[in-house]
Amino acid sequence: MLSEEQSQKHITTGSGDLNNILGGGIHCKEVTEIGGVPGVGKTQLGIQLAINVQIPVEYGGLGGKAVYIDTEGSFMVERVYQIAEGCISDILEHFPHSHEKSSFAQKQLQPEHFLADIYYFRVCSYTEQIAAINYLEKFLGEHKDVRIVIIDSVTFHFRQDFDDMALRTRVLSGLSLKLMKIAKAYNLAVVLLNQVTTKFTEGSFQLTLALGDSWSHSCTNRLILYWNGNDRYAYLDKSPSLPVASAPYAVTGKGVRDAGNSNHKRVRVT
Amino acid sequence: MMNHDQPSAKDRCGKIWSGMQLLKDTTESKHFLPTGLEGIDTLLGGGLRQGQLTEVTGPSSSGKTQVCLHSASLVAAKHMGVVMYLDTSNSFSPSRVATIIDGSSDVFGQRGFDLQPKDMRLKSVMRSIICESVFDIFALFEVLHQLEGSLLNDKVNNGGSKICLLIIDSISSLLAPIIGGKYPQGRSMMISVAMILKKLADEHNLSVLVTNHTVSAGNGAVKPALGESWRAVPHVRLVLSRECGSNICTATVLKHTLKVFPL
Repeated sequence: MLSEEQSQKHITTGSGDLNNILGGGIHCKEVTEIGGVPGVGKTQLGIQLAINVQIPVEYGGLGGKAVYIDTEGSFMVERVYQIAEGCISDILEHFPHSHEKSSFAQKQLQPEHFLADIYYFRVCSYTEQIAAINYLEKFLGEHKDVRIVIIDSVTFHFRQDFDDMALRTRVLSGLSLKLMKIAKAYNLAVVLLNQVTTKFTEGSFQLTLALGDSWSHSCTNRLILYWNGNDRYAYLDKSPSLPVASAPYAVTGKGVRDAGNSNHKRVRVT
Repeated sequence: MMNHDQPSAKDRCGKIWSGMQLLKDTTESKHFLPTGLEGIDTLLGGGLRQGQLTEVTGPSSSGKTQVCLHSASLVAAKHMGVVMYLDTSNSFSPSRVATIIDGSSDVFGQRGFDLQPKDMRLKSVMRSIICESVFDIFALFEVLHQLEGSLLNDKVNNGGSKICLLIIDSISSLLAPIIGGKYPQGRSMMISVAMILKKLADEHNLSVLVTNHTVSAGNGAVKPALGESWRAVPHVRLVLSRECGSNICTATVLKHTLKVFPL
């Protein structure tokens, strides 16, 4: 089991600092929850991961496909194209001697191919969301090269419409167990994007991740994205094997990158 | 020390015990399995007691899985027996086990533990930990029945060692989808799991460690999940909490059959 874990590849987030706090990137066989205020970059990170999982094995990636389940409609295809182009230009920059790699791999480095390998599902209600996840198992049995499943965002349909909180807890815990099972059985990473809500604790209102306390136990790792002044930071809140840490990152025209150079940065929109 | 001839399961159930026999049994065979975390071992009175069900509860990221990983690593490293680790959130990480063992190697050195080279030691530790993923309550029932069957047949696991520690991390995620609501089947399944675990613990001298999560109790307070019926089930209950942003966790005892705590 140890050797299997050591040979596990990670999906890079695009930002070296983020990768470091995550222990190399997003882990396969684990469910990672990413939460944050609106506008901090969750969907950007989701799209970046959907692209990065497709980086061919020759260039250090997983060479897999992605499943993107969109509940809010925030998947902008033009932005995905832009991020794909940014990823490809970074790969070519990093591997200048591209004549050593097979020419087939090079030909695959087209943004169109990256877009083609993302399986996109749009769900419009919580029943559709549950159905999509139930269908996932069959889908993954047929498409064994999927390496990441992103749900953006898992909260949306469960915040309104639900009168029975106990039912919501039961449904959500059943959902999370299914996702855990899929992650383990098909050796892929599951990334859940979550929204924030206010919670009244210790006499004041605080921002916490939505869906309640029981949901917070349903993921293997949790990453919280927040603003610190004008900079975006990520904080690793829950992990079975890594210490808590935070790291800055930036959202640039090319996608999620290290926060270093302050030009290109998309600043906070208030 | 752990591989004494313990009374087999057939001898234990249905037999009427005298007080002296019980005392003898308790002092001779009901040992404490240390978790490796000093504070917790002190609160537990030595460690996880064999024959008992210990519950660790706490809000998210308070260290429950770490307690499980520490206990599993320590028990396996000291060759006390086989550990069965049932994981519901894919959190079992062999590299974390390796870090834990490397971290406490100085403790072993003092006790005359044979200092094998690192990877040999790690291999022997990993061989003593059986890790299985369970993702729903029925899979858990099946695993427990299989375990019961293999223990009753006195089959030795992993070349001579018997299982001595059973960890379920976390039992509340398996029970959450079925309890609540108007149908009582969920709660009855929870009670059956509890009975099977206690039976396994008692008949085969296992120590059982389960983790539970917390839910809000109104006004910002938290209480352990799984409700009132579960409260009476574990013999020892610990609550963990972690301050925001720090690495220090505190543990409080909610219930302990052997100790009295001033109110």
